Amino acid sequence: MAGSTQPDDAASALAEIGRRQAQVIDAVLVPVWYWWIVAGGMVGIGAAADSKQPAGIVVAALVIAALTVAMIVGAYQRVRVRDADLVGGPGALLIVGTVWLITGLTIGAAFGLRALGSPAPGTIATAGGGAALVVCGPRLMRRLRRIMMSRRAGVSA
Amino acid sequence: MTAARFNELIHAPTRLAIVSLLAASEWADFRFIRDELALSDSALSKQLTTLETAGYVEIRKGFVGKRPRTWAKLSRTGRRAFEQHVAALQEIVTRSGASVSVAAATAQGTPAPAD
Repeated sequence: MAGSTQPDDAASALAEIGRRQAQVIDAVLVPVWYWWIVAGGMVGIGAAADSKQPAGIVVAALVIAALTVAMIVGAYQRVRVRDADLVGGPGALLIVGTVWLITGLTIGAAFGLRALGSPAPGTIATAGGGAALVVCGPRLMRRLRRIMMSRRAGVSA
Repeated sequence: MTAARFNELIHAPTRLAIVSLLAASEWADFRFIRDELALSDSALSKQLTTLETAGYVEIRKGFVGKRPRTWAKLSRTGRRAFEQHVAALQEIVTRSGASVSVAAATAQGTPAPAD
């Protein structure tokens, strides 16, 4: 059968394989709207901290946590990607590094602004952090997609 | 380096699509596979049974709450057969000298451009 398979057919089959594997990867990547909601939640936390309303911080944090858990559980019930194979060390480092960098810079900026006497250090810092999340989140997902596509089964065969 | 071995069972279009989906997954829900491949329940069941009989796929049934669910995963044998099949396809394409465009297309997850 292999002998009778034409190069065009083989190329089509390889393209089909890539397309189907991309479907799995796309199904587990975080959608763009998620970053906007988390960014909004972050600003909510910052604003609540500035106005000394702990209930606001709790509500915003719960919204972010509930959304994140719902998304993970929803994706997990449909399909689970081969994390170790597809994401690997570089992908995991990229995710953790980006989250820590944005979180660290946001907290640092908030303390810095407060030291400078800003009237709303939390709001300003989290607005910056939220903007970074909205810009970097989708880019992170695109980068992760590239990593996962390059590490999927059969590519290095 | 995976040995190239063309696999007729996997190469059938619907099964190739199923196995490709499963190759990127730890496991996948029956409904996810059905919806992504736009198959009917019976068509997917039939193909999964064929793959399971060949030892390429493992089927697990269970419940999420009170809902019955079916999950499928590629077995170790199935994964090896898939990788050997991909290697065989790549070999066919490479021999024809069209490897560059195909490699680029598959890396992007998009179809190879038509000549």
